[in-house]
Amino acid sequence: MRKVLLSFVFLSTVAMLQLNAGEQFAMSDADRAMYKEMLENNPADIYVEEGGELFEKLGDEAALAKFLGVTEKELPKYIAGFPRYVKSLGNVVGLDQVLQAMQVEQGKEKTKLKSGKMFSMLAYVKSIANDEVLNIDVAADEHIKAAYALGEKTFMTARGGRGLSCNSCHSADIIGQVLRTQPLPDLGEAAVAGTWPAYRMTKSSLRSPQRRFQGCMKNALLKVIPIGSKEMVALEVYIAKLAADKKKKMAIPGLKR
Amino acid sequence: MAAEARKSMIKIKPKKFKVGDTVKVDFIVIHPMDTGLKKDKKTGEVKPEHYIDNITFSLDGKPFTTMKVWETVSTNPYFSVNLKVPGKGKITVDYTDNTGEKNSKSKKLKPKG
Amino acid sequence: MERMERRKFIQGFFAASAVAAIMTPSALLAKEEAKKVLRGKNALTYDEAVKAITGDKAPTDSDKVSLTVPEIAENGAVVPVKIKVESAMTEAEHVKAIHVLSTKNGNARCADVMLTPMNGKGYFATRIKLGGTQDVVALVEMSDGSFLRAAKPVKVTIGGCG
Repeated sequence: MRKVLLSFVFLSTVAMLQLNAGEQFAMSDADRAMYKEMLENNPADIYVEEGGELFEKLGDEAALAKFLGVTEKELPKYIAGFPRYVKSLGNVVGLDQVLQAMQVEQGKEKTKLKSGKMFSMLAYVKSIANDEVLNIDVAADEHIKAAYALGEKTFMTARGGRGLSCNSCHSADIIGQVLRTQPLPDLGEAAVAGTWPAYRMTKSSLRSPQRRFQGCMKNALLKVIPIGSKEMVALEVYIAKLAADKKKKMAIPGLKR
Repeated sequence: MAAEARKSMIKIKPKKFKVGDTVKVDFIVIHPMDTGLKKDKKTGEVKPEHYIDNITFSLDGKPFTTMKVWETVSTNPYFSVNLKVPGKGKITVDYTDNTGEKNSKSKKLKPKG
Repeated sequence: MERMERRKFIQGFFAASAVAAIMTPSALLAKEEAKKVLRGKNALTYDEAVKAITGDKAPTDSDKVSLTVPEIAENGAVVPVKIKVESAMTEAEHVKAIHVLSTKNGNARCADVMLTPMNGKGYFATRIKLGGTQDVVALVEMSDGSFLRAAKPVKVTIGGCG
């Protein structure tokens, strides 16, 4: 069943659905505590372990550090700054694309970016940076500057059947309003870039951040952008900056609805 | 179905404990827990029932908890019980599902003092 | 498509009033409760399940059983359940079994957990599926053959995007 949202109805509905609906369906602190406790036994932990085994086959942290041109000691902090411009690849890329490049370099079979195996590997690699503050520097070079600008543009561009943009639901003034019983999150405060890949309870599987963006786009009737594309990586850059601005830390894997 | 062993984890909390303490034994396993009532989105076919139905927690071969589990438990399920630590040993979780598939996971119990 | 658009418009219009602000999300809950309860091979109603477990014995609602579930479950696929029972867990007096049930799932049973004094405490936790808003029930069998009970309602929302 397609979820149809008329932008004008949506805007008026969201504007009207204030505290009442929010209160009735907002989870209590006790409820939130129960869900937080579930993080201690996150099914994603098993997928992360699996990702670690796959990553080991690629040469582990030593091989990744060498590929990126940093020391193993610098690796966690470096990982917390992704997506980055990687000179040897001539592009701003995510860590999943770096892993794919390593596979190619080693003459191994490429794992599809949109696959459970890649999400697991990505989760493991990102978890190496757990507790590091997200430190993406969008002014570091011309390439990341351009990616950030493209990311912001992609976030703000209204498109699709209902003329919605990411900003329609995730702008500063909409944050906290209730849509379909869920309060709309502040993507920076929620540290999307630091808590995805995450286990999605409604999908019973581990999902990467770009995969989640795709789910969101589908629901808003926006044509889905391919994972690993220039625009999708740019979106991740934009989202990472939102979390970095709020000094959020890496905490992988997350546990989400 | 021939399978690589099913993935699972046993966690013992807290990490440091003594003989006589009561610890929490958490078991989490990757399993679809299909109810037999949902369709596969790709094929349109109903996914047959496939769920863990029996679990036994043992310490050095002695069962201390047994469970009868139904398809109403969540996918990739989690089960948690307590264990009063009698001494050093090995915890084993043996589980079967409705297809007859048998699996097992173990973890050492290492009290300090 | 047109009918859905009109429904959404009407919903949006009603949202303007305080009453309707509660009505609109309720429409989501009501719609889900009206859905036919799916019944599989293990289908058993709550009453049938209780009878199967306790026989003719009537369970007593007891404070000794503490049942923790969310008041509002963010999704029905993964609902955390925690049960604690006050008991010395000795050979003479212990929890024999904790049965987790739901009142409206097609199969009311979720798990039957047989404990022993080796457990040290009467405790079990898991995560269950709830097909809609309903009660979660902990039915506890004690070593003396008595049955204790605790029940709590869980509101299941099927909202969110993506």
